[in-house]
Amino acid sequence: MPGGYFGRALLVDVTGGRASSLALPEPVLRGYLGGAGLGTWLLHRLAPARVDPLAPEAPLAFVFSPLVGTPLTTSAKFAVVAKSPLTGMLNDALASSHFAISGKLTGHDAIVVRGRCARPSVLLVDGAGARLVDAADVWGLPAADAERELVARLGRGWRVAAIGPAGERGVRYATLSHDGRHAGRGGLGAVLGAKNVKAVAVHAATKVAPADPAAVLAAARDLRARSFGPATAKYRELGTLANLLTFNAINTLPTRNFTAATFAEAPRLAAEDLAEMRRVARNSCASCTIGCEHVYRAGGGKSARVEYENVFALGPLCGVSDPDAVLTASARCDELGIDTISAGGTVAWAMECAERGLLDAPWLRFGDGAALLRALDEIGRRDGLGALLAEGSRRAAAVVGRGSAGFALQVKGLELPGYEPRTLQAMALGLAVNARGADHNRSGAYEADLSGDLDRFAGGEAHVRATVETEDRAAVMDSLILCKFLRGVFTDPFAEWAGLLRTVTGWDVDATELQATARRIVLAKRMFNLREGWTPADDWLPARLLEEPLTLRSGRVASLSPATLRAMVDGYWAARGLDRDGRPTSECAVDLLLTEAVAT
Amino acid sequence: MVLAGGRSSRMGSPKSALEWYGSTLLRRTVSIVARAIAGPVVVVRAPGQELPDLPPDTEIRQDPYEGRGPLQGIAVGLAALAERADVAFICSTDLPFLHPAFIHAVLGAVGPDVDVALPVARGYPQPLAAAYRTSLAPLVESLLAADRLRPAFLFEKCRVVRLDDAALRTDPQVAALDPDLDSVVNVNEPGEYEVARARPEPAVTVECFGSAAGRRGSGPHAVRAATLARAAAAISLSLDRHVLAALNGEQITRDDHLPLTAGDTVAFISSDAGG
Ligand code: SF4
Repeated sequence: MPGGYFGRALLVDVTGGRASSLALPEPVLRGYLGGAGLGTWLLHRLAPARVDPLAPEAPLAFVFSPLVGTPLTTSAKFAVVAKSPLTGMLNDALASSHFAISGKLTGHDAIVVRGRCARPSVLLVDGAGARLVDAADVWGLPAADAERELVARLGRGWRVAAIGPAGERGVRYATLSHDGRHAGRGGLGAVLGAKNVKAVAVHAATKVAPADPAAVLAAARDLRARSFGPATAKYRELGTLANLLTFNAINTLPTRNFTAATFAEAPRLAAEDLAEMRRVARNSCASCTIGCEHVYRAGGGKSARVEYENVFALGPLCGVSDPDAVLTASARCDELGIDTISAGGTVAWAMECAERGLLDAPWLRFGDGAALLRALDEIGRRDGLGALLAEGSRRAAAVVGRGSAGFALQVKGLELPGYEPRTLQAMALGLAVNARGADHNRSGAYEADLSGDLDRFAGGEAHVRATVETEDRAAVMDSLILCKFLRGVFTDPFAEWAGLLRTVTGWDVDATELQATARRIVLAKRMFNLREGWTPADDWLPARLLEEPLTLRSGRVASLSPATLRAMVDGYWAARGLDRDGRPTSECAVDLLLTEAVAT
Repeated sequence: MVLAGGRSSRMGSPKSALEWYGSTLLRRTVSIVARAIAGPVVVVRAPGQELPDLPPDTEIRQDPYEGRGPLQGIAVGLAALAERADVAFICSTDLPFLHPAFIHAVLGAVGPDVDVALPVARGYPQPLAAAYRTSLAPLVESLLAADRLRPAFLFEKCRVVRLDDAALRTDPQVAALDPDLDSVVNVNEPGEYEVARARPEPAVTVECFGSAAGRRGSGPHAVRAATLARAAAAISLSLDRHVLAALNGEQITRDDHLPLTAGDTVAFISSDAGG
């Protein structure tokens, strides 16, 4: 077995509490690495075609990676992979910290949960295998409280990933979290909740050695030193919220449901000021030397994790500028266990519907922080308007109709992150074509838009190339797994990542192989989606972005025409070896290793 | 379109290569035109003329003849643009205070019944700071064939709207940012160049975000700077690979030589914005 792997996944059927082991052939490990990549392979093998994501048979996989457990900075991460109840497509979300290390050291490269418990339960996995315990007393608690309670009860060394009340109630964008880090997007919390599983607890039972421990140590020292440099300064100093004022200055801060890209009151929510007034702590995940997590004081004696995405989605996107309201809303999302981006996106859509008279909710108005909090609470309880909004903006718009789908800002059902596509046209393509839907972590094409190397207002061939390249890099980082916030320290990424993988696994892997691996992972995600009913219309953006020009602060206008997007999507499909309908051609000769024999 | 030919005989050295705050006069003019328009920028040079470094997207065309005057260069440029644009702004190299607002105003004056928008600014007609319909190309060619080499011959045969100082200033941006119509000030001899070079640099606003803010704070800072590099220097910011700039909230750039004009806002941002 190569270093860094156990070569097996634990399959747990929570219906009857039985567990079995699935052997993971070495070519599959080498071809998919771990994390999001290996999770995609597992979903191909284990998810019944066209399965309902909330059905007992739908698998949910916690997937580790070869680098987990090494001293390489930012490597303590795990992927949670399942078919999304929000998009109906493949969803992989990452979280981090000790759960990754202890979960892997149960002796498995992945833990896959299937079935449905008869009553609310917690799944425990340690050296003795898997077992279920009753969760009646933690059911209904916020994820962090349940985690705290379970750790106190189970004792030292147990690490817990849990869902909040929203996951229990099937909110389609419920999260799953560990130690304050959320596997946030796509509703994985609802998948676990549908299995009647409140939490998964893991305890390390064994060790795994890298192929060349001395070389790993040397690489870890080097990476650690580089992680203190200017390439990560933003994350250490202000965290991702530093983006808020920058994006406001460059017309890329989506505001009031993407009707504007600047928010006059943005300075009230700026990291620069909040940090001065309200910062209470700076935290980091296990095995991380960057420490990007900035915790701020919210209202009511609470504190809130602050990142650009949650402030954008609960602030400018809903027109809310009161820092207390935004930070309280962020803390409320964490308590309920819902994705802040999808929550903000869905509420912003509902605010616009209410203002246009399409929804009977006169209390719901842009800019009203109290209304935002009420909407979040109703979503968490699935009552009142929350029953509709818990379904996400795409499904809600299908119910409301009357043109409201045109301003439901989602792709494949996943609400857009805080990047304005009309002024970031490489990102526009990245959001349209990515397998997970509109997401900034699987497509980092905004890097090209913000590099100054291309015209971010006029999409074209350079934008297609940038989209493919950033998607490939993300596929490898999410599978190795390394934190994206470290990406700036790599000057020759694929070669450097191949070097790290060599020292851990002993494989003679090089940059070329890793680039092929990236293509395989991206294609495998697409193939999964095709199997589940993807159509060419799914690689597209909502009407607002293509039909409504955006007025910039200068008075100039930015627009993204359907023809420009069509040309970019076609170019992307061609670059990926797909035909004019986005399906693989015979020249698309990537072996997805889906027929590799496995033993259980 | 920028005509870079011309003899520069009174200047004594090629005007296109004249130093302008670490850059050159031609580069400045080309970049200002590029900022103001949506389409391509074409530089027309004299046969064999060497040009200084120019922005990467600049198209260069060669005038087949030397010394036949501006109409010859206009013909080359109009022919180059005829397929891609209805109207072209055409200017000479030596306009150190050319402002994008002026270009917008002149281009905006070419209505459906107009072939040429000709500023008559600061007392003189300005055929080399004017807008022309590209469909004039055959007419210009016929004038050249008849050896009628002066722009005035062209204006006799097409529909010209003349824009005096007052007309130009009706554009609010021009009135605010180029009230003295300095856009048409040209430099023909060393003394004029020295005077122009001694003027204060344009008044611009600088803001800093993310790691670029550092101890200097986010601003806004009011500074005088003719280029991006000068704006960074004015707030003691080093323009290394960790810093990018957005001009007026729009294009992102690392171009040190990017010319600035009065009223511009430069936002310095860290190169890892996003994510
Ligand atoms: S940079 Fe932030 S998200 Fe990444 S590993 Fe470190 S603390 Fe966690």
